[in-house]
Amino acid sequence: MPENVLPPLDPVLHSRVRLGIVSILAGVKEATFSFLKEKLGTTDGNLSANINKLETEGYIEVIKTFQGKKPVTSCRLTEKGKTAFSQYVETLEQYYLLKK
Amino acid sequence: MSSTNFEQDIQYIKAMIRQSREVTAGSWMFFLVWGVLVIFAIVAQYVLVSLAMYHLIWLDWVAFAVIGLSFSMIYGRKLKNEKKVKTYLDQAMSAVILASALGFLLTGFIFPYLNLYGWEAIPVLIAMVAGMLTFIMGGLFEWKLLKACGLIWWAGALIMCFVPAGLRSLFFIPLILIGYIWPALSLRSLYYKQKSQNA
Repeated sequence: MPENVLPPLDPVLHSRVRLGIVSILAGVKEATFSFLKEKLGTTDGNLSANINKLETEGYIEVIKTFQGKKPVTSCRLTEKGKTAFSQYVETLEQYYLLKK
Repeated sequence: MSSTNFEQDIQYIKAMIRQSREVTAGSWMFFLVWGVLVIFAIVAQYVLVSLAMYHLIWLDWVAFAVIGLSFSMIYGRKLKNEKKVKTYLDQAMSAVILASALGFLLTGFIFPYLNLYGWEAIPVLIAMVAGMLTFIMGGLFEWKLLKACGLIWWAGALIMCFVPAGLRSLFFIPLILIGYIWPALSLRSLYYKQKSQNA
């Protein structure tokens, strides 16, 4: 299949941090901000900006709760996010097979 | 973009998904504590029987149940607060543990209290519920040892039907050691192995 026939890669997910966030959330029900920060090895500001972008696009849902007096921010993948992620992986595999 | 970039992206996604597999074997402590408590309760029951203090047997079981429930509530809350990620496996595990706890309560306390059956049937029915708990957990963890422990509990429940009623509770002790304490210690090693892998 020629490359120009393949759909373009989703620009929202075509960023290292955002792809990492969505990949982690694809395997769990929800994950806290600190968990994502720890696993992605990024800064608070960078992670916040990328979470905001994903939330604006409707790919993730941000949940704010309290554990005692401590605020906890968690993220969860939405149905739109799940579909976008699986399409992204599918397209990526097609590109990979084509280039191989 | 070259095929190397695409491959790197795929590897990155796989690595991130692996990262999300946080420890799910943290329930080993519940197994261990409940197993040890039940052994103590059985031994205390035999001491009470040998001293002809039959009227205190119910108190023995209620006391150990209260200790176990208090521990479960405190430790469960601690585990929940420490968890940074919620998995679907955790959700399934919680439902299975809650269902089994209710099963133990109904078969061990409520039904005998309502005279649905005699006390001699309790160890057999408890062993059946314990077998369900360990077998389902084995299925969720994809772990043959836990599944085998479930089969041991069910075999034990069947064998207990042929053991004299007065000795059934004692027969329970080796079953707890094999079907509860052994998987608890195995879950413990899995827990620390997963923890070191995720570190």
